[in-house]
Amino acid sequence: MTTFDRTIGATTNADIVVDRAPLFPRVKKGISGRSIAILVFLAICAAFFCVPLYIIVTTSFKTMDQIRQGDIFSLPMPLTFDAWWNAWDNACSGIKCDGLKVGFWNSMAILFPSLILSLGLSSVTGYALALWNVKWANTFLFVLFMCAFVPFQIIMIPLIILTGRGVPIDLFGFQFFAGLNVYGTIWGIAVVHAILSMPILTLIFRNYYKGIPTEIMSAALMDSGSFWKIFVEIILPMSANILIVVLILQITSIWNDFLLGLTFGGLGTQPMSVVLANVVITTTGEAAYNENMAAALLTAIPPLFIYFVLGKFFVEGITAGAIKG
Amino acid sequence: MVIRWSRWSPQLALIPALAITLVAFVGAILWTIFLSFTRSRRFPEYLIDWSDWSRQYDRLLKDDGWQIALQNLVVLGLGSFLAIVFGFILAALIDREKRGEGLFRTIFLYPLAVSLIVTGVAWRWMFNPSFGLQNFFHSIGLTFINFNWLASSDTAMYGIILASVWQGSGFYMALMLAGLKSINSEIWSAARLDGVSVWRLYFEIIIPMMKFTFLTCAILLSLGVVKAYDIVVAMTNGGPGQSTWVPAYFTINAYWAKSNLGYASAAAVIMLLITAAIFLPLVLLTAWRERAREARA
Repeated sequence: MTTFDRTIGATTNADIVVDRAPLFPRVKKGISGRSIAILVFLAICAAFFCVPLYIIVTTSFKTMDQIRQGDIFSLPMPLTFDAWWNAWDNACSGIKCDGLKVGFWNSMAILFPSLILSLGLSSVTGYALALWNVKWANTFLFVLFMCAFVPFQIIMIPLIILTGRGVPIDLFGFQFFAGLNVYGTIWGIAVVHAILSMPILTLIFRNYYKGIPTEIMSAALMDSGSFWKIFVEIILPMSANILIVVLILQITSIWNDFLLGLTFGGLGTQPMSVVLANVVITTTGEAAYNENMAAALLTAIPPLFIYFVLGKFFVEGITAGAIKG
Repeated sequence: MVIRWSRWSPQLALIPALAITLVAFVGAILWTIFLSFTRSRRFPEYLIDWSDWSRQYDRLLKDDGWQIALQNLVVLGLGSFLAIVFGFILAALIDREKRGEGLFRTIFLYPLAVSLIVTGVAWRWMFNPSFGLQNFFHSIGLTFINFNWLASSDTAMYGIILASVWQGSGFYMALMLAGLKSINSEIWSAARLDGVSVWRLYFEIIIPMMKFTFLTCAILLSLGVVKAYDIVVAMTNGGPGQSTWVPAYFTINAYWAKSNLGYASAAAVIMLLITAAIFLPLVLLTAWRERAREARA
């Protein structure tokens, strides 16, 4: 096997031994001076990481009058949910004042089709490349590995053309456009997400399936299993672990995406992050900072929820998908 | 019959992925490269004037905005490097002091779940000169502190760096922590028995042992820096003036704001070349790692 395969393998499995018991558990002693110094330093760093969250949360509950007093660390007095409601329901982006709710539902609508498309496509591709005898598999894997690193801008313009009306084709006098005609719709964004995540997800699935013992495959083949039958009856039930890791990786990266939503979203089909950016950047007059912070929090809550509930899988996914960058 | 189908089904199942790779990646890259040699403006043109094929690239070289973007790319790369250093320090301390490991890891990693747009919006608010952190420092008497970074073209880039370090350090900490844990624990005991000082232990033993982890981190970081776009939009939207433009921003701007397809394509091709220049060491690195592993075996 060529080298690229090892890189991915290394980032997915071998390097991530986060939870391992120490070989020599240290004897419990009183806390030493050095330990205290380290803990104090770590606590200061933790404060650096937490301060922004504290400031966003408190600001979002303040009234604009209190914000104008200028004490950014003060607790909200009086505490009000108005900013949250306004951000959700009637914050203005450009000339439309529909709040983030439109973006939220758009993001949800983008999420499901693109999850189904990308997971379906890349798990089957990874399975075929890992466990079946395909002659050009190695060449294809190498090309996929390169594709996973390509910056989006280099394929942006052709993708815009292809998801739009497409290219005019003249076939013996019979003229038509070869394009998907989904530009500016929810489907357009979902399809582009599935396309762009295909290389890296395929590599992740392929590395996982490569670890399945060959005995299982030969037994399944003896049992006269067909390609699809083996996949559905044997491989899929064994993939629960990798599926949840990839699922979480995809949910967070689709939810947090900005550039694809901006490029392929039309008016009224933009995902939440694009609406958030519009609300915050295109304000006229004095910005409603409490509303902006509430809007930012509303956008950040779904991935944060996943992180705090399914943290272990999240970290695994983010390191496996690291090269996605 | 079954056997014949099982022979062909894998190839058939690969057709969609193959088609996507050939059209949306390989084809699209060649397409963009082709467009970069044409005079396309709002709409694509497919005629190349061979006497003047490099006009887009010539213009790019003379464009001040592009020069600024390239300089900022270097500044952002060097500044973001702090995330690796910071990540390593955090990982080393967490690894030494096992108390509270889970808690600290959770705290240092949570910004990674937050999108760069949200990160940018949050930091933009903290950099606010009238109500943000600067105002707080001034109100407690520290009037010499200037925290209004985003308003000045000299310091706006540092603001972006600070926010990206905040968002990304946890990731490098996680990679470093994994690297540290894979180091044989006998080394720690041996060093303690020999009375090696902590500094020497880290600089002369641990860091050299983790050179692959560091290189991986550096390459991942550089690839991320080339792609940096969201954070710039959310924090400064390229301003003040053009002072926080980066290549990714320049390319998108050339397409949307200037409606210049050929120009945007040329900028994207340069981005691809920069990525390739970073990507090549990764391939070499893995080859090197492979050889090191075989030599050990």
